[in-house]
Amino acid sequence: MTREKGAKKTRRAGRIKTPEAVFLGSLANQQSAKYRFAQIAGVVFAVSLVLQAWAFANVFSDMALQQSFSLSLLVVGLLALLVRALASYSRERICTSASRDIRYGLRRNIVSHLTLLGPARLRIEEDAALSTRVYEQIDALDDFFSRYKPQVFMVTLIPCVILLSVVSISWIAFFVFMMTAPLVIIFMIFVGHKAAQANRRQFNVLAMLSNQFMDLNQGLAELKRLHRTSQARERLSNSAAAYQKTTMGVLVLAFLSTATLELFASLSIAMIALYLGLGLLEVLPWQVGSSPVTLTQAMFLLLLAPEFYLPLRQLGNDYHAKQKAEAAATDLLEILHHEILATPTHVDSATENDNAVARDHITSIRFQDLSWQEAGRYRLAPITAEIAQGERVWLSGESGVGKSSLLHLLLGFEDAYDGQFLVGGLPFSQLNLADWRSQLAWLPQTPEWINGSIRRNLLLGLGGKEGKELPNEDEIHTALKESQCDGFVYALPDGLDTKLTELGTGLSGGQMQRLSIARALLSKANLWLLDEPCSGLDNDTAQAVLDTLKRASKGKTLLIVSHDTHPILWADKHWSLTKGGLHEQSRKQHGEAIA
Amino acid sequence: MSNHANNTAKLSLKRLLLANPWGFIVPFVTGVAATLAGVGLLGLSGWFISAAGLATAMGVGIVFNYLTPGAIVRGLAILRTAGRYGEQVTAHNHLLGLLRTLRLWVWDQRVAKESTDLNQQSRGDLLQRLVSDLDQIIRWPLVVFLPWMYAVLAYVAVAIFAFFISPDLLWPLSIAAVFHVLIVPWACGHIASHAVHVGQILGVHRRSRFVSFFSALITLTIRGRWEDYAKRLDQLDVRQKNAEIRIQQAVSLGRLFSYLVTILLLACSLYLLGTVTTETGRWVLNDGVQGTWVVGYVLSLLAVNELVLPLVQSFVAQGQSQVGLRRLNQLHQYANTPIDQTIPRIEQLFFKQWRGFYLPSRMGSPTTNIRVNHGESVWLRGVSGSGKSTLLASMAGDCLSSGEAYINDEKYDVCNNPSYQAKLSYLPQSPYVFQQSIAANLLLGNPNASDDQLWAALDAVALADWVKSLPNGLETLLSSQGRNLSGGQRKRLVLARLLLRRSPVLLLDEPFDGLDKATIERISHSVQHDYKPDILILVSHVGSRLGDNARVIEL
Repeated sequence: MTREKGAKKTRRAGRIKTPEAVFLGSLANQQSAKYRFAQIAGVVFAVSLVLQAWAFANVFSDMALQQSFSLSLLVVGLLALLVRALASYSRERICTSASRDIRYGLRRNIVSHLTLLGPARLRIEEDAALSTRVYEQIDALDDFFSRYKPQVFMVTLIPCVILLSVVSISWIAFFVFMMTAPLVIIFMIFVGHKAAQANRRQFNVLAMLSNQFMDLNQGLAELKRLHRTSQARERLSNSAAAYQKTTMGVLVLAFLSTATLELFASLSIAMIALYLGLGLLEVLPWQVGSSPVTLTQAMFLLLLAPEFYLPLRQLGNDYHAKQKAEAAATDLLEILHHEILATPTHVDSATENDNAVARDHITSIRFQDLSWQEAGRYRLAPITAEIAQGERVWLSGESGVGKSSLLHLLLGFEDAYDGQFLVGGLPFSQLNLADWRSQLAWLPQTPEWINGSIRRNLLLGLGGKEGKELPNEDEIHTALKESQCDGFVYALPDGLDTKLTELGTGLSGGQMQRLSIARALLSKANLWLLDEPCSGLDNDTAQAVLDTLKRASKGKTLLIVSHDTHPILWADKHWSLTKGGLHEQSRKQHGEAIA
Repeated sequence: MSNHANNTAKLSLKRLLLANPWGFIVPFVTGVAATLAGVGLLGLSGWFISAAGLATAMGVGIVFNYLTPGAIVRGLAILRTAGRYGEQVTAHNHLLGLLRTLRLWVWDQRVAKESTDLNQQSRGDLLQRLVSDLDQIIRWPLVVFLPWMYAVLAYVAVAIFAFFISPDLLWPLSIAAVFHVLIVPWACGHIASHAVHVGQILGVHRRSRFVSFFSALITLTIRGRWEDYAKRLDQLDVRQKNAEIRIQQAVSLGRLFSYLVTILLLACSLYLLGTVTTETGRWVLNDGVQGTWVVGYVLSLLAVNELVLPLVQSFVAQGQSQVGLRRLNQLHQYANTPIDQTIPRIEQLFFKQWRGFYLPSRMGSPTTNIRVNHGESVWLRGVSGSGKSTLLASMAGDCLSSGEAYINDEKYDVCNNPSYQAKLSYLPQSPYVFQQSIAANLLLGNPNASDDQLWAALDAVALADWVKSLPNGLETLLSSQGRNLSGGQRKRLVLARLLLRRSPVLLLDEPFDGLDKATIERISHSVQHDYKPDILILVSHVGSRLGDNARVIEL
C-alpha cells in the first residue's frame, strides 16, 4: 500500500509523462553508454570553450593595450579551438551512431513483432501503410535521438560552466546572465507552448493539403472523363493560397519563440559589451572614476556571452524534432501494443517428440470447449467440433464472432485459448509447429503474392530446404490445369514468366485466386484454410472460382470461411458460428435448408 | 492559359529560385541584414571594448566618444533579431508559395498524360513519394541557397574590414573563403552524393520489398521460409545504414575541416600582422596596424565560422533535392495538343476490329465488331474473365485499344479526345469518390445543378433516403476514397453524378453488383425513363429490366 502511495506521489510530483515520452526515454536508455560518452565530449567542449575564451581575452587585451601578445597564449587559444572542434566532431559521431543503433534495432524489433502478429497485423493497417511506419516513421526519430536528446544536456551544462567561470570575474555580468537565462526559459516555455500548438495545427493543415492533392490525383482519370480538371486545378490553387495565408498567421507567432531567444542573445551581448565598455571608460554612473573589470576580463566576458545562449537557441530550433518523434512514437506504439497471441518458442521445445501424427497426415482436428476471452468478453464462444481427414467444412457467421481467430489458431498464430485443441488426439501445443505448418495451405481474401514471375510465386517457399525437390514443369502444368489457370496463363505473352508486381499485371481478382489454388495444389498441403476467398469478387466470378475449388480440393481437408452470400454448397459440413456458439448442419440438412 | 504554358517546362533548381523572384528578395535582403548585423555585432563590440580599455589606459577615457558605438551596438543587436525574424517569416511565405507552384506543376503534368497511362501512376505509394519529394525540394532555397549566400556576403564584409587593417590579410581570407564556401561543401556534397542516391534508391526498394514479402507472410511462414526472406529484408536495411553512415561521415568530417580552415586562417592572419621579437617571445604587431581593429577582425572571423559550419550539411541536402527533382521530371510531359474534332449528334457508334487491352501483359478483350444505333441499348455478356470490362473501358478511351472507331460513319479517335469524352459517361468497375461532400461529388457531374436536381439524381439511384437520414444531408463529408461507403453506395453515388451530366452515351460496368432487387429495379427505371441516354452499353452479370430490354452481345 505504502509503496503504491509513494509511487503515486512521485508521479504527481514529476511531470505527467505521456506513453510516447516513456517509450522514447526507454529507447534512449538502450544507448546510455554512448550518450554518456557524448556527455563527456560535451564537458570537454565546454571546458575548451572557456579556455579558448580566456586565452583569446588575454591575447586581445594585450594586443589592444600593448600592440603585442604572448605567442604561447595564442597557441593555447587556437589549440582550445581545435579541441572544441574535435569534441563536437566526436559528439556528433557518437550521437548519430547512437541514433542509428536505436532506430535500426527498433526496426528489427518491429519487423519481427509484425511477423509474429501474422495475419493479425492487418488489424492495425494494410502492409503498404505499415511499411510507412516501419521505415519513414522510425527514421523520423533520427533528429530526436541524434540532436535533441544530447542537446538537452548541453543546455544545462554550458550555461552552468559559463556562469561558474564568470562569477569570480564580474558580479554584474553574472547577474545579467542569471537574470536573462530564466527569462529566456520562461519565454521559451510560454511562446514555445503556443508555437507547439500552432505547429501541430499547421502540421494537420499540411497533411490535409497533401491529402487533397492525393485525393484529386487518384481520381484524376475520373476528373478527366468529367472534364473537370481545370476546376480541380483551381481548387488546388485556391486551397494552397488559403493555406499559405492561414499558415503565415500561425508562423508569425511560432517564430516569435526563436525571435525572443535571438533578442535575448543579441541584447545581452550588447548589454554586456556596453556595460564593459562604459566600465572600462570609468564612466558607469555608479562607478565613475574606477573600472569594475580589467580589459582582459571584459574580453573574456564578451567572448562567452554569445556561447551562453547558443545551446538554448539550438534547442529551440530542434524543438520540432521532439514533436515529430512523439507523433511517430504514437504510430509505432500502436504496433507494439498489439499483443502477440502465440509464443513462438513453445512448440519448438517439443521438437524431439515423435510427432509422426502430424508429419504424415492430419488424422483429425478436434476442438473441445475451445474459446477465447478478451477483456472478460468472449471473442469466441466455447465450441466443440471435429474435422475428420478429407472433410470439407464451410464456416459462416457474422463478422466479429471469431471465424478469423479460428483460422489463425490453426495457422499457429494464436494460442491463448481456453479449452482444448487436439490434432490426432494430441494437444496442439505438443506438436512440432514447423511440421504442422508444412501441411497447410493458406488462401486469404487477398491472395499472397510477392514481386516476381508467376512461376516464382507458384513455387514460393517450396523446395530448397531438406533436399525437397521443386515441382517440375509437368507438375506445374497439371496444377494449372486443375485450377483452370492454363487458359489465361499460357495466353500471356510471357506465360509463366510474366511478372507480378505491386502495380498488378492486368490479371483479375478471380484469376489471382485461381493461381492461389494452383499454388496450394503444388504445395501438396493436406489442410487448406481459406478466409473469404470470394469476398472481393463479383458473384459470377466467385461462383466460377468456387466450382474450380470444389474440383481441385477433392481429397483434401478443408476449412473455408465464407459469407452466406457465397454459400459453399458442396461442403460436407456447414458450421454456423454465432455469439452463442457453433451450430453444425450436416450436408443433408443443409441441402434441405437451401431448398 | 499563359500559366499553363509556363508550367510545361522541366523543373530545375534555377527555375525554383526564379519562380517568384520578388517573394524571394525580401527574405534574402532581411537575412543578409541579419547576418551582417550578427557578424558586425561581435566585431564592433570587440573593437569597442578594446578601444575603451585602450582609451582609459592612455588617459583619454573622458574624451572617448562612446555614445555612437554604443548606439550602433544596440542597433545591430535589434537589427539582427528583427532581420532573423523577418527572414524566417518571409522565407516560409515564399516556401509555401513554391509549394503551390510545384503542386500545380505536377498537376499539369499529370493532366497532360493520356488517360490510358494514368491508372498505373495513381497508385498510392507513388503519389506518396511525389508528395514527400515536393516537400524535400521546396526547402532547397531555404536550406541550401540562403545560408550559402549569407556566408559569401559575410566573407565579403569581413574582407572589406580586413582591407582597411592590412591589404595583406586578403590573401589568407580569400583562400579560406574559397575553402569554406566552395571546396569543402562541394567536396562533401560530392562524396556524400553517391550515398545519398544509393540511400534514396534503397529507400524505395526496401519499401517495395517489405510490402512484397509481407503480403506473402503467412505462406512463407507456414512453409518455414520466412527467415530467409526476413534476412533479405535485413540486408537492405544494413545497406541503407551504411549509406547513412557514409553521409554522416562526410558531414562530420566536412565540419571538422571547416574548423581547421578557420584555425589556420586565424593563425595566418596574426602571422601576417606582426613579427616575433625573440628576446621576449612576444608577437609584436606591425606598424600601422591597430590592435583594437585586429580584435574586431578576429571576433568577426569567429562569427563567420558559425555561418560556414552548416554549409556542409546543406550541400548534402542539395543532393536529396536533386534526386527529388529528377524523379519529378520523370513526370514531365511535353504538351500534346488534344484532338480537336467536333462531334455531331451521335447517330451510330461502330467499333471495327476492336480490341481493348492493358499493358504490360497485353491481356484484354477478344477482337470484335460492335455497332450501336441511336436509341439502342446493348448488354455485353460473357463468362468471368472474358474481357467485358476491358472492352467497355476501351470504348470509353480509358485503356489501350486496337481497331477503328466510327461515329456516324466517320472515323474518330477515342483516346485523349475531349469532345468524345464530353458526349459520354462511363461508370468503371471501381469508381472513384472524392474526399469532399456528397454535394460536391455530385456537382462534378454538373456544376450548375440545383439542389432539386441533386436530390432527383440521388432518388434515381435510390440513395435519397440514405442521404436524408444523414445528419448533414448533402453536405456530409465523405472519407478518403469513399471508405465510409459500402461498395454499392459508392457505385450508386458515382452513377448519380454521371446521370446529372445527361450525356448521350452511357457506359455502365456492373452497376448492380451487390444491390437488392428493388434497388436494381429503381435504377433500371431511372435509366430507362428520366435519364434515358441515346445509347446505353451495359456490362453486368446480374439480370435486370435494363438488360431485358437490351440487345444482347455475347463475348
